[in-house]
Amino acid sequence: MIQVSGLKKSFNKKPALKGIDFKVSRGEIFGLLGHNGAGKSTTLGILLGMVAPNAGEATIDGINIQQSRSTALRKVGAIFESPAFYDYLSGFKNLQLLTSYSGGVSRKQIEEVVARVELDDRIHSPVATYSHGMRQRLALAQALLPEPEVLLLDEPTDGLDPEGIKWFRDFITGLREERGMTVLFNSHLLNEVEQMCDRVVILQEGQKVFEGSNTDLEDEFLTLNIDLEPIDLLPTLAKQFGGTMVSQYLQLPKTTDIADVVEAALSQQGRVREVQVVTNSLEDLYLKFSKKVQR
Amino acid sequence: MFLSQFKGELIKLFARRRTYVGYGVFIVFELILLVTFQLDILRSQQEDYMSQNGLDPAHFFSSLTVTFLVMAFSLFLLGSIYFALVSGDIVAKEVEDGNMRMVLARPISRFRILLLKFLAVCLYTVTFVVFVGITGYAMATIALGFDGGLLAFAPEYGLFAVYDQWGDGMLRLVIAAVLIGISMCTISALGFFFSCCRMKPATATIMALSILFLDFVLEKFPIFRPLREEFITYKMSSWLFVFENHLPWAKIADNFVFLLGLDVTLFAVACVIFQMRDFKT
Repeated sequence: MIQVSGLKKSFNKKPALKGIDFKVSRGEIFGLLGHNGAGKSTTLGILLGMVAPNAGEATIDGINIQQSRSTALRKVGAIFESPAFYDYLSGFKNLQLLTSYSGGVSRKQIEEVVARVELDDRIHSPVATYSHGMRQRLALAQALLPEPEVLLLDEPTDGLDPEGIKWFRDFITGLREERGMTVLFNSHLLNEVEQMCDRVVILQEGQKVFEGSNTDLEDEFLTLNIDLEPIDLLPTLAKQFGGTMVSQYLQLPKTTDIADVVEAALSQQGRVREVQVVTNSLEDLYLKFSKKVQR
Repeated sequence: MFLSQFKGELIKLFARRRTYVGYGVFIVFELILLVTFQLDILRSQQEDYMSQNGLDPAHFFSSLTVTFLVMAFSLFLLGSIYFALVSGDIVAKEVEDGNMRMVLARPISRFRILLLKFLAVCLYTVTFVVFVGITGYAMATIALGFDGGLLAFAPEYGLFAVYDQWGDGMLRLVIAAVLIGISMCTISALGFFFSCCRMKPATATIMALSILFLDFVLEKFPIFRPLREEFITYKMSSWLFVFENHLPWAKIADNFVFLLGLDVTLFAVACVIFQMRDFKT
């Protein structure tokens, strides 16, 4: 549904994207991760036709955004971090205005979506009086009008309270189940991405450093947390099984049998008190790749 | 669809308080002017001027003449501030506030967005001038009565015209109001042009006013006298020729074609600049 290939972009000769590629299938919820300046917003900007790439192309449902922006965007709804509405107008008027740029929708359609995002009691109040959570729901309403096939979300849950985040998450996953909507989700909230997304791409300094699913992460290594005496036996074990030490953990090839590791430790006069298999989380991977975050 | 989008643009424009600042200021200005004309010392000065030219002050110190004075001596200097303010704001403010990215995420071309905004500021400009004309005339009518002739004078442009009949004077005033509106669109086009560049709304307004006043000052400079007719502000004053007894249509058309050409050029270049800009989310 979304395809990005060889995207390159520089701002003032400083590269923001160095040739990234990824594909998002129809009905997939896809996460775009990376620290500030990694290239996430630039990628989203290109997908919305707001930023012109120096090289490469981006397509939505096979339509090249750079060549046929308006046609491609007919299938897209977008939400930005801190959505900027016309504060002096009501939420309803904002929806009418924004949807007029997409060909217009009926009053009934607006009312249905407003009810769906649970904003019906305040929709005729000026947006200036809305809380951050209400603005995000209004943003969601405008993105859903008129019935997009793809949602592009830029840090949509930033600044929301835990209830708001859960509401948003349930809403988006519900949309996928009901309509088979494709979602590209750009966020810093790793927990959110992990819970919602089928697959993720991690960007670092304009390059893709990882693409895969949570299952891929878990299968990549066998990570063990071993309570062992003497502790300096751990690097020897790592070397013996062709693995490495990552912090206090022993990271071994995924085919390694835990029983062999314990046996090797015992044979070297080690005292094994406890062995835990550490599951790789998205956070682990993100921290591993995002040097800036580690700092 | 275009009309519904244009209506939306007007709603945005007229829902903002800054759009009304100019209307308020002109009402105050017209009130001051009318109170001032009640003062004997100033009134007699005007009446003496008319008498010296063989005109009956009772007939020519009228609502039409006062409306002419309001339009001739206030719209360029005072009105230009509000035209530049609104037009300098119309794109740059939306970019600054982030509204523009919400619009750009929609399937609408950048050219169409700008066309809607440009037409909206032009409509604002023309209606503002008409508003000043109507309120000026209404207030003058309250103070001086409905009837009377029209004395139109602007010594710098060699204009001294007299219309004895109310109908003739009013017709010329109406045509003049429309032409002032069109000529003032050049200020709005300048403001709009800078608004589409990468700058803050206040900077766009100041840039537009700077160019306008620079042109105005140079036009008045003695050394540039031979080239006077080439300046934008001179061409913008072409509406004054409407009051000449024998209308110099060719001269008026020549100047207005130039102004319209300038407006279109500014719009086209603004579109190219805006098209080339990146808007990060």
